[in-house]
Amino acid sequence: MPEVMDLRLRAEELISEFLSGDSSEAILSELADLALKDASVAARIREELEFSEMLRQVVEDDVADSQALFVESKAAFAQSKDQLVEKACDGRINPAECNQLAKFLLNEPDEVATLKKSLAEDEWIRGAVSESRSEEAFIEALETRMWAETTRDHFVEDFQDRLEREISAEDEVDNIIEMPVSWTPTVLKMAAVAAAVAFCAFLMTQVGVNHLPASASVAMVTKSSPDVRWVGEHVPGSNGEVVVGPYELERGIVALKFANGGEMTVEGPALFEVKDNSTAHVHHGVAMARNEQSSPGITLKSNGLSVSEPVPLIGIDARSEFSTEAIVFEGDGGVCLDGGGCRSLFEFEAVKADRNRDRLVDIPYNPQPFLGGWELLSGVEKNLGSVRIEMPGTTIESTDREGEVQVFVENESFRPESDLEVDQVSTGHFASAELNPGQALQARGDLRSYLLQLWPTTGVDGEEVEASLTFDHEVVGLIYSSDRLTSSDTSVGTAIPHVGEEFNRERGLDLGRDEILLSDDRRTLNLKLKGGELEVDQIRVLVALN
Amino acid sequence: MDRTTQELFIEQVREHHAGLRGFVRALGVDPLWVDDVAQEAFIVAYNRLDEFDRERDFGAWLRGIARNLVINERRKDARRKRILSDNLTDVLLSSSSASDHEEEEIGDNGLAKLNALRACVADLPEKSLGLLRSRYEDENSAHDIADEFEMKAPAVRKALERVRISLRKCMEKRLEAGSAAGNA
Repeated sequence: MPEVMDLRLRAEELISEFLSGDSSEAILSELADLALKDASVAARIREELEFSEMLRQVVEDDVADSQALFVESKAAFAQSKDQLVEKACDGRINPAECNQLAKFLLNEPDEVATLKKSLAEDEWIRGAVSESRSEEAFIEALETRMWAETTRDHFVEDFQDRLEREISAEDEVDNIIEMPVSWTPTVLKMAAVAAAVAFCAFLMTQVGVNHLPASASVAMVTKSSPDVRWVGEHVPGSNGEVVVGPYELERGIVALKFANGGEMTVEGPALFEVKDNSTAHVHHGVAMARNEQSSPGITLKSNGLSVSEPVPLIGIDARSEFSTEAIVFEGDGGVCLDGGGCRSLFEFEAVKADRNRDRLVDIPYNPQPFLGGWELLSGVEKNLGSVRIEMPGTTIESTDREGEVQVFVENESFRPESDLEVDQVSTGHFASAELNPGQALQARGDLRSYLLQLWPTTGVDGEEVEASLTFDHEVVGLIYSSDRLTSSDTSVGTAIPHVGEEFNRERGLDLGRDEILLSDDRRTLNLKLKGGELEVDQIRVLVALN
Repeated sequence: MDRTTQELFIEQVREHHAGLRGFVRALGVDPLWVDDVAQEAFIVAYNRLDEFDRERDFGAWLRGIARNLVINERRKDARRKRILSDNLTDVLLSSSSASDHEEEEIGDNGLAKLNALRACVADLPEKSLGLLRSRYEDENSAHDIADEFEMKAPAVRKALERVRISLRKCMEKRLEAGSAAGNA
């Protein structure tokens, strides 16, 4: 009996080693001997092997995949080497066929060189036949990636410089091509001559683009941050005129107004290309596009993706060489991958085209990279004081902006459905906010509404906060009384999250304490707000868009 | 990076892009991703241009970079791979050398080969050119081409094979002629 126990213990040890992958000839031989001596050991081995196989299937692949692979492998096995090579050349070879071809090649190493030659020749035929795989297309695509993926280059300029020199030698090159017998002594030189012709053609295209007449102006620089610096030969005109072509913005932020009515901001460092009066391609950097309902809108493109349906307000973040992000701030639209595949994108949604730009991935809504661009697009310029232009989608409720005047664009464009009552404000001098009988809003047409807010400062009462804001459009109405703010919320279409009675009572300016000044031209609003510990200061600013 | 170095790079792009694309393809890269990998190799080269030893063959250096990029592809998960198959690429890589001294390495004189081939394609009979365009420009399968040209799929395969063989011969002949003219 002890002998049997020893035998089974030894068998367990060997099975354990065998299942761990230590299946040496000695182990297998000893296990076989033990199984012959004791039928229960044989049964244990069978049981463990069966279970291992089940585990393998669970861990590796599901059964369906395994079956499919088996079917494919069987089909691949039946094919000749030539058939497999042809499929490899076509790029239509499946994994099982690849494996089968690899087996052929392992057995016939001499064939490897032949296959490689076939594949390379296939590539050259493709390049010789297909325009999309031509030398020009390749260099153009490389140039684009150079813009986007290198940070220290002047690749475009160098290409252009080179072009000018090569064009001057164009006649000479033409002569050489027409007389092949005079080809220069080495094959390399022959190649260089041929390349020069194709390369010149490519560069000619570039010059054609860069030297369009002034009448080809398709956009204007309407705003820019003070630190703007353009580099390269291609910069906007002194009057802000932008023609078709590539632009490199080393630093700063600019806003462009396109001929078709759309607006775009670009934040440097950025490389972008204005294609026509409605299309821009952002190779690198952060850009936003705003489209009005009445205009066809700007088509924004970037590395790997493009905006397929114009969106009222959308941003592209193309700073990473690994991915491109699109984010919708207002309205709904759609984006498409360059290689096909589109999807809808709704307000406050963001997607990323990954490194291979072969799929769109949902990502969290993060508008922070677009803050600079939005400050130019929002239609308000902060001149003085601690002011923060809030991104669309920011909730009008915050406790982390104490001592800072927040500016929310409540409604980009609207026509009030009913008469709006605004507070009475005289222009040209500071005056305390006072209880007043109000007046009906006189302006007609499209309006934009801003809500300015100063949140109570914890533990501080009476601290004065000054701010000065200049608006792109004329201010036609100010609302600072609590009741008028509340009654106009619906008309301007804003969504105040806490509309409790207590909050409403404490909104607006502190009557008799806070001071306001609206300039004579009704563009600039100065505020002196006595921040309270309990009340939120709010003032609604209505501007006329037309 | 000085201007001369940049000039050198631009010259090298012109000279080596065709050969590099052929080399990349010969390592089993999916035809759809060949240009992508080749461009990536140029960008890596550009970013590391300061490290390039001018005594070396630039084409071989580029191929070394591309070879490493392809090796990296094998480590990616299947969805992101730009190669057709790990096993096939393993075999193709095993016989590939990025050595400067390797003669007849695929990729050498690629531009000359491409230009010779272009001239050969221009001389093809109309029907052969049509088949070739359908296959390589429109990316049609043998079955689709068969429908388009009212042929049987095996006949299309055979015809394409014949065209490829004749183009290869033509290309080699032109290269030899060019070389002989150069040596004369």
